[in-house]
Amino acid sequence: MALTGRAGVLALIGVLVVGLLLPSWQGILLVLAMLAACVAVDLVLAASVRRLTFVRAGATSVRTGELCTVQLTVQNPGRRLRGVLRDAWAPSAGVVSDRVLVDVPARGSRTLSFDLRPVRRGDRVSDRVTVRSVGPLGIAARQGSHVVPWTVRALPPFHSRRHLPPLLERLRELDGRRASLIRGAGTEFDSLRTYVIGDDVRSIDWRASARSSDVVVRTWRPERDRQVTIVLDTARTAAGRVEGALGGLPRLDTSMDAALLLSALASHARDQVDFLAFSHKVRASVPRATLPVLVQAMAPLEAELVEFDARGAVAEVLRRAGRRSLVVLLTSLEPSIEHGLLPVLPALAARHRLLIASVSDPALHEMAAGRGDLESVYAAAAAERTLAERRRLTALLARHGVDVVDALPDELPRALADRYLSLKAAGKL
Amino acid sequence: MTAVSPDASRIWTAARGPVLIGVIILFTAVVITLLRGGGEGGSLDPRSYQPEGSHAVAALLERNGVRVEPTDDVSSVEGATLFVTHPALIDPARLADLSRRAAATVLLAPPTGKSPLKVETRDPGCPLAAKAGPATAGGFVYEGEQRCYDSTLVRTGTVTTIGFSSIFTNRDLDEEGNAALALALLGQYDRLVWYLPSAADRSQQKSFTDLIPDGWKFGAWQLGIAAVVIALWRARRLGRVVTEPLPVVVRAAETVEGRARLYRRSHASGHAASVLRQASRDRLAGLLGLPAGEDPSAEIARRTSRSAAGVRTLLYDDDAPVDDRGLVALADELDALENEVRKG
Repeated sequence: MALTGRAGVLALIGVLVVGLLLPSWQGILLVLAMLAACVAVDLVLAASVRRLTFVRAGATSVRTGELCTVQLTVQNPGRRLRGVLRDAWAPSAGVVSDRVLVDVPARGSRTLSFDLRPVRRGDRVSDRVTVRSVGPLGIAARQGSHVVPWTVRALPPFHSRRHLPPLLERLRELDGRRASLIRGAGTEFDSLRTYVIGDDVRSIDWRASARSSDVVVRTWRPERDRQVTIVLDTARTAAGRVEGALGGLPRLDTSMDAALLLSALASHARDQVDFLAFSHKVRASVPRATLPVLVQAMAPLEAELVEFDARGAVAEVLRRAGRRSLVVLLTSLEPSIEHGLLPVLPALAARHRLLIASVSDPALHEMAAGRGDLESVYAAAAAERTLAERRRLTALLARHGVDVVDALPDELPRALADRYLSLKAAGKL
Repeated sequence: MTAVSPDASRIWTAARGPVLIGVIILFTAVVITLLRGGGEGGSLDPRSYQPEGSHAVAALLERNGVRVEPTDDVSSVEGATLFVTHPALIDPARLADLSRRAAATVLLAPPTGKSPLKVETRDPGCPLAAKAGPATAGGFVYEGEQRCYDSTLVRTGTVTTIGFSSIFTNRDLDEEGNAALALALLGQYDRLVWYLPSAADRSQQKSFTDLIPDGWKFGAWQLGIAAVVIALWRARRLGRVVTEPLPVVVRAAETVEGRARLYRRSHASGHAASVLRQASRDRLAGLLGLPAGEDPSAEIARRTSRSAAGVRTLLYDDDAPVDDRGLVALADELDALENEVRKG
């Protein structure tokens, strides 16, 4: 049950009645009785909320920050329903307006649309649908809630997709599909063809030319059908918020962005992408990933307050990657790597090539540049200590043959993609 | 000029008319009050010699052995005549109580009278005032057991109600049988309580709530009920509050800040200095293209005007004690050195 503003107005009119006509307890009781009678009439005559049925339809996934629409159909088996309906969602679902006035005729139905603009990645679940059914006098209303489950999956925004066109351009150059005179564009022998003016003389295959009447050159193409295994660390360090151009984002989100750009690029380069999200156990796993499947798999991932189980992750990678592949580990360069990853690194490095991508914190560099007063200088010392630690780790990993990409959040996706392309160009996949 | 807020002169121009009117009203009120000052004072007061006063009748009563007690706060009226000059100013219940306790009561022009008659010489027409004879009577007409002077003076039991005040005033006391009538009414007992009620009578004071009419009182109750109804209307939520499952997010630099505070609290200036030196050495080695870990002092001395020994002291002297002030200075010196190398 709920009262409306009219009940308040009626009670205020009662003030005049009591004050001017019936200044006594009886007067007050009379006014109260009238009010209660009106409320009772409204409650009896209002349409039943309990008997309403609801059906949902509409969007099930949307890129974070973009608009989508979810429909809610109200079926009213009883009296005409007038009132207000609230379709409650969690705040991060970004419902533009969750309340609407409804007027459903008796034994009829109405379809309502709600616009959602999720502000955060993940599964945004609807809460209850609450209806306030106002009686004919408009003084009191019946109110009740229904559970009409619906989930809109807010996909990772993939901000770095703007980097994709220039990267694809570079990929095409590697592929030889664009006229390019650069030798070494690809390492896999493709075919022999006759020499045309402008070809690099170093690519002339003399042995073949001797057998032929023309001068023959070898053509090369980049490696194809290689395997790229992306391992996303969703453990403790991924929860760290790092300030970037898009505001403070957890490392996890930046890593996802980088992973998406890399997998988009790799699938254009006809490499096979396997995706694995790992904390202390497997959080998500997408073999032979395509971009739509990958964003769906990434959407519900959140950082967890557990230590990254490097041993388990390496075991998992070794189990699934049959042939030699590029393993891209998106994590953070923390001292814990030394105890966690380094002992198991030889097992991985023996069969695969490892590339570690880490989000570095611009705040660290700001602190390291702090001067002037004691507090800033101590902060600078602390930051320098951390940076030195990261340099040491990078050097240590490099000694084990691990590539490290350590970049600021805004630069990491591009830097990782560039590193992938240069590895590909060098035939090191 | 883009300012639209009024300045002082504009405010004065706008306000002088109302201010002038206000001053005139105030001045007129003061003048009228001063001119009328004391005009009504002492009306029917037994101590007043004004024409409207009643000293003459009080003096007559005193001479006849009646003790006159002018008062504005009655306490004891037992065995006395009670004369109330302005009954309208007294709470009716209290007046009834007083007249019950008094031996005789004379009420002057209570507000229950009707159709006032002209004040002129009238004959008594009743045994009550037969002795006094004609008097300057008139004023309000009342209901009562004994009626005199065309019902402008009536008596019921011990209570006498009189519709005119002329017989008690200094001005009219010597007319007709006024004095005899006044003495007959007020001199029945040897004590006369001359009650001059005033608005400030303490015995009549009521609390503020007693003075509020019922309509307002119950209206206020109903207003409270209305407030509760409105509160119920506003308080009812349309569905429950939806909680947001927030992910774990911490500022990534938090541990570094914590370490900085730890350094500071323990005054680890020596340690901080060696960290800063190490960082500076690494950067300089990078700038100069030297392998990491190699001493860059000689190369720096070659490129800048500094001496190799001085540079070496600055970059390597971790054993020298450093205080907080020295640490800040050291950081600046290292910066300066790096800048020189960059420029050089």
